[in-house]
Amino acid sequence: MTAFPLNPLEEDFPGQHPENRDHAKSEAIVPDDEWLLRRQFAEDPEKGCELLFRRYYVNLCNHTIRFVHSREVAEDIVSEIFTTFWQNQTYRQVTTSYRAYLYKSVRHRAYNYLKWQVRFQHSAEEPVHLSESPSPHEVLQYSELHQKIELIIRELPAQCRRAYILKRVEGKKYDEIAQEMKISAKAVEALVSRALSRLRKELSAHWVLFIMLFFC
Amino acid sequence: MKESVIRLLLFDFFEGKTTSIQRKMIEEWLTEEPNQELFYRYLDEWESERPQFGPDKETALESFRSVLAGADKTDAYTPETEQERPLRKRQWLWLAAVISLVAVGLAFQKQILYKSLDSGPGKRVTHRLSEGTEVLLNANSRLLVPRFTFLGNAREVFLDGEAQFKVTHTRNNDRFVVKMGDRYRIEVLGTEFVAFSRARGKRVFLKEGKVKLGLPEGRQIYMKPGNLFVSGKNGSYKMTAPADTRPYTAWKEQTFYFNNTLLSDVALQISEQFGMQVRIADTLLAQRRIGGIYKADQVDDLLQILSELMQIEVIQKEDHIELAIPKP
Repeated sequence: MTAFPLNPLEEDFPGQHPENRDHAKSEAIVPDDEWLLRRQFAEDPEKGCELLFRRYYVNLCNHTIRFVHSREVAEDIVSEIFTTFWQNQTYRQVTTSYRAYLYKSVRHRAYNYLKWQVRFQHSAEEPVHLSESPSPHEVLQYSELHQKIELIIRELPAQCRRAYILKRVEGKKYDEIAQEMKISAKAVEALVSRALSRLRKELSAHWVLFIMLFFC
Repeated sequence: MKESVIRLLLFDFFEGKTTSIQRKMIEEWLTEEPNQELFYRYLDEWESERPQFGPDKETALESFRSVLAGADKTDAYTPETEQERPLRKRQWLWLAAVISLVAVGLAFQKQILYKSLDSGPGKRVTHRLSEGTEVLLNANSRLLVPRFTFLGNAREVFLDGEAQFKVTHTRNNDRFVVKMGDRYRIEVLGTEFVAFSRARGKRVFLKEGKVKLGLPEGRQIYMKPGNLFVSGKNGSYKMTAPADTRPYTAWKEQTFYFNNTLLSDVALQISEQFGMQVRIADTLLAQRRIGGIYKADQVDDLLQILSELMQIEVIQKEDHIELAIPKP
């Protein structure tokens, strides 16, 4: 064993739970934590929207990127949801918590984006219809969808996955990635398109089942 | 079902770790309307503990504020007309225009707000931030620093790679924050430390002062001078006070410090330092060890030393370097 493990991060430390583990445990949730938000909306919807944005923007982006695998797309989708929420005065009609509405909306929108991207039988012009109360099964399926995507990406060959992440998630240019990976831009392009077609193929297979359960 | 139980169950489900029987249980639980509320509450909680990336909230909020300010109330849609189908397409196009506008705004604002400092392969860069902090950026690293100090984020930087920080103490005790991705963050007032944030994990070595480390699960720990923090798998970590600190600071003098180090580790360090893939096909060779302090400005210097010292062959391939035992 080396005295100074220079790669200690790879190690699996058995039972390494430091003493100060419980230092700052995440606190329990507060019941009806949106009460203040509601009151703010009643008084001044503009302030309410801003507050809502501050509270949920980051988490919603983090949730959306699980589906769309692109920072920019995720941020756009979430910003767009907030924009329509304000412009259509959706806050007046929401019967659930704002949180539930926002999560349902971004999941639905992310799903539509993905569908369009995989070009699976539906076009983007299809009316974007959000069912008011998705069935429990539908609710769970959204989560299973992003898990499936993660799984597909995780099973890609290492080089392929790296190129895909740099291109899609980080939004880098082909020649930038080529430089970083020390391969030609053409090769990067090939790797990314291989990843995409794998995603497309596996999702389509998954989708037949998904859509059947979803829309029938 | 007890709330604490359902919380754990849902967290497992979000991770994809539930059995099909448990899934059925959740589905049944969800049939009660109020539970759907709870579902999203836990989803939100789960997400806030497992960030994927650092969305630029302030920039996005700026764009959203202009949406809030610019929205003409008379143009706001009325629910009756929206239900009519012929309008759907137009509305969709209009929406697309809004999205692309927001997107363009976001894309440019990011570049405007942050300046990227990159050190190329094998090169180190020193930089002085506007508020006085000195940064020595190791090779193959990137630091994002705010371009405008008046926006109030002058003391927040993003690190991908390795760097030493000499943080100045400001008069009004502003915190200096290093974000390392995966929700690891270092918070300090004034101190000297080395931060390492690469693909294989996070490492922080504190030389002087005191820092607060924010960990992914929202926990916070404090470090004392001489402490070394190393992140492990699944949010675990190890805090030690190493007797010899050279392994964590040797890079500053362009030196490599090996002490009974595996050749596979050496290869990894070369990759990190020079951005050059080094592979060892022979597993026996990968397990050989090496010691000593070597100065190397270029990747070839170090490879030359290794090849002579360990009697190995260095083969330059198209996109990587291979280390092998020479054939007789």
